Amino acid sequence: MKKIIYIAILISGLANAQITPEFEIGAKGVFSGNLNFNSEESNAVTDFSDTQLLMGLSQKLYNNWRAQFVLGLQFPDANSNLGEVFYNNIFIRLEDKTNIFKVGRTLAQTNLNEFPTLRDDDAQQFVYALNPFSDGVNTERDQYANVLDYTHIFKQRFFVSIHGENFYDSLEPDDFRLNSMGVSFIYRVPESQRWNRNIVQQIGLSYNNYFTDRPGYSNDFDSSVKNLLFSTILNLKPDPINFVDFKFQAIQNFGWDEITELNDYFDYTRTQSTSLFGTFRYLKQKLERPHYQISIGGGYKSLDNLSTNSNQLLFIANGFYRMGQNFDIGFQYRYTENEGFTQNLFGKNEHRFQLALVYSFSQIFNKQFGDREDLLNLEHNYIK
Amino acid sequence: MDRRDFLATGAVSTAGMLFFPGNLLAKEAKNENKKRLVEPLPFKMDGEWKEFELYIDLHTHEPAPGFKYHTLAFNDMIPGPEIRVNAGDKVRVKFINKTDLNHTIHWHGIFVPWRMDGVPFVTQLPVMPKNEFIYEFVAEPEGTHFYHCHWGTLMHMQAGMFGSLIVENPKDPIKEKFPYEREYTLVYSAHDTNYIREEMNGMLERMKQRSYLMKQGRFTSEQWGVFDNKEQFLASMESGYQPPYVTNRRSNAELPQANWFTVNGKSYPSTPYLFIKSGENIRVRLINAGAETHHLHLHGHDFWMVADDGVPLEHPWKRNTVPLTPGKTFDIIIEGNNRGIWTFHDHDTRKVTNNGLYPGGNLLALVYEDLPADELIISKHSGNPMYNPNAGMGDMKEMDNEKMGNMNKMMFGDDKLPKIALDE
Repeated sequence: MKKIIYIAILISGLANAQITPEFEIGAKGVFSGNLNFNSEESNAVTDFSDTQLLMGLSQKLYNNWRAQFVLGLQFPDANSNLGEVFYNNIFIRLEDKTNIFKVGRTLAQTNLNEFPTLRDDDAQQFVYALNPFSDGVNTERDQYANVLDYTHIFKQRFFVSIHGENFYDSLEPDDFRLNSMGVSFIYRVPESQRWNRNIVQQIGLSYNNYFTDRPGYSNDFDSSVKNLLFSTILNLKPDPINFVDFKFQAIQNFGWDEITELNDYFDYTRTQSTSLFGTFRYLKQKLERPHYQISIGGGYKSLDNLSTNSNQLLFIANGFYRMGQNFDIGFQYRYTENEGFTQNLFGKNEHRFQLALVYSFSQIFNKQFGDREDLLNLEHNYIK
Repeated sequence: MDRRDFLATGAVSTAGMLFFPGNLLAKEAKNENKKRLVEPLPFKMDGEWKEFELYIDLHTHEPAPGFKYHTLAFNDMIPGPEIRVNAGDKVRVKFINKTDLNHTIHWHGIFVPWRMDGVPFVTQLPVMPKNEFIYEFVAEPEGTHFYHCHWGTLMHMQAGMFGSLIVENPKDPIKEKFPYEREYTLVYSAHDTNYIREEMNGMLERMKQRSYLMKQGRFTSEQWGVFDNKEQFLASMESGYQPPYVTNRRSNAELPQANWFTVNGKSYPSTPYLFIKSGENIRVRLINAGAETHHLHLHGHDFWMVADDGVPLEHPWKRNTVPLTPGKTFDIIIEGNNRGIWTFHDHDTRKVTNNGLYPGGNLLALVYEDLPADELIISKHSGNPMYNPNAGMGDMKEMDNEKMGNMNKMMFGDDKLPKIALDE
């Protein structure tokens, strides 16, 4: 029966001449040699995790709306229990000038900032409101979720979003009900206006409520894990040649009072914690193209409700040099240190050195209409 | 409503999208048509100089109902206003650049002093954002000419930076040979609206960076891609400079593929009508300000070719199709000797489309004003079998009169020609 429906849809498509959609393709390849020196052992590995491919098809709808279908896949860490390939993006997005609806699997709003690290999860424990349903075997389950998201945009720069998610539950993997809700307020200067912006490029506040089953509590709100995120990007020097910015994010996890020791990863994400993470970045541009970039950052996480002092510390520094269009060579050093219960979970400390080749590409083919954040649409009347 | 019903409804809605132009010969229709013709640019006298003012700004243009795009336009219109002077007039044009982009004006076909020719870095520096430039020249030679921006010509011209420039001869040999009272200017162009959008966005973004650096005195030749001489250019390459044609620095790497074709900035069904009366001559000035060739064909008539690039032809000749190549102007005389409504269109029918859909683009009509209203009535003169169940409508014999009437109303609406059909 399904096959008949597919055929019918295909015939309908052929009978009605179709406009070929905009076709966007994005690719990122991250290949590194890692040298790890930690408190227990040392090792060297080759790593191509975080490599991903993204495809988007966009069309104008009737009545001035636009729709986009996105399919993306990622190659996760070898021991992540996600298989060889993880489909990190499968969603549909509807939007007009001031509204965006999104449904499907994509990045959850557990992080409001993109930090200049080699891989997205290099500072995972400090920059994401962690998924309290995950056993922590992989980082993708903190980043991606099945989302239902509505965003309204005020005056081009104020984004108010309400969203619900189904985060992967390691104990009940077949439960697809929404297990989280949240709201976020973000002030963000569009990228195309970066030479007009003042020092504040972005300020965001987000509240996430994870509906956990807390023993002894029947009320959904009381039994939930609550996270509050604050994030900002400051352009310390918005210069086209020598660009310097500072990115910062703080996460307050209002976890369960009763967790005073960490027996497993669930306790780690459900206990109270405060995370701070920030980076300084210097970007050298040559003839309107990136030339090289240096960044340095650090993070601190305190888990104050635990019976033993269990703070975490992270230091990260990296540099990337553009060898040619889309190709970079980079070096990253990361140091992590864990105390108390976190030492039991993640080890005492680790020095990690990485030498990496990175390929990144994003291009829209068959382009037919302007983006909402094009300069023309922002500054010279939005065209529906 | 299930999916199958939904699709069927969608198809019917599209096929039924007809607009009715009303009475073409009514006063309102003629007033409406004036908006589709080029607008004259007024001038004021300063001594013996005729002073005109042109400004350039970003503009939202609508070539046909329902489609808008951002573009560049002189005095907020496409084409720019028509400059009309007499041969020998002293002409002064104050050009004001209101955009954040560079521009110049080139006077195509006019014998200007070379420093007035508007070619950036050859005859002048570009007119920078928010700057002005005064062009002065004597209007010669006579004939049909045009002006256009000569900075970033590939994009700026197709964006809409062009307008007609008519140099009249009080003793015009063409008028003496073919006496006429009315004349029309038709400026043709072709536009890749996607290319225009991408280029304009890229240019605006780059100019914001460059303005920032200029204010700080840190803008260099290499950043601008402008060098004093070849030696300086080569020396920069020796020390690592990569010119833009080696590594693309612009927003768009592909050459434009025109998807909209316009006459006076309008695509069918917004193109102008040419009105004529039986026994009348009209002069039509054809200008190609775009980068495509237009093979213009008039139905039902041969017209006189009377000028080529503004130069009056000593021996005019007749034809009914003319290839109007980029940068070319032709003047033709149409004699009103075959009453009716006649299509005048690009016979490269790829250019009778709007964004790939036929009909559209360079499609307009020559309309006789003395055409009796009676001749427009479809049911009276066309003999269309839809109106006669006994003539080829065997399958419809069982349809009662009321249903037949309804069908005719659906098919023909007001029972008269011409109509605007978007699903021919």
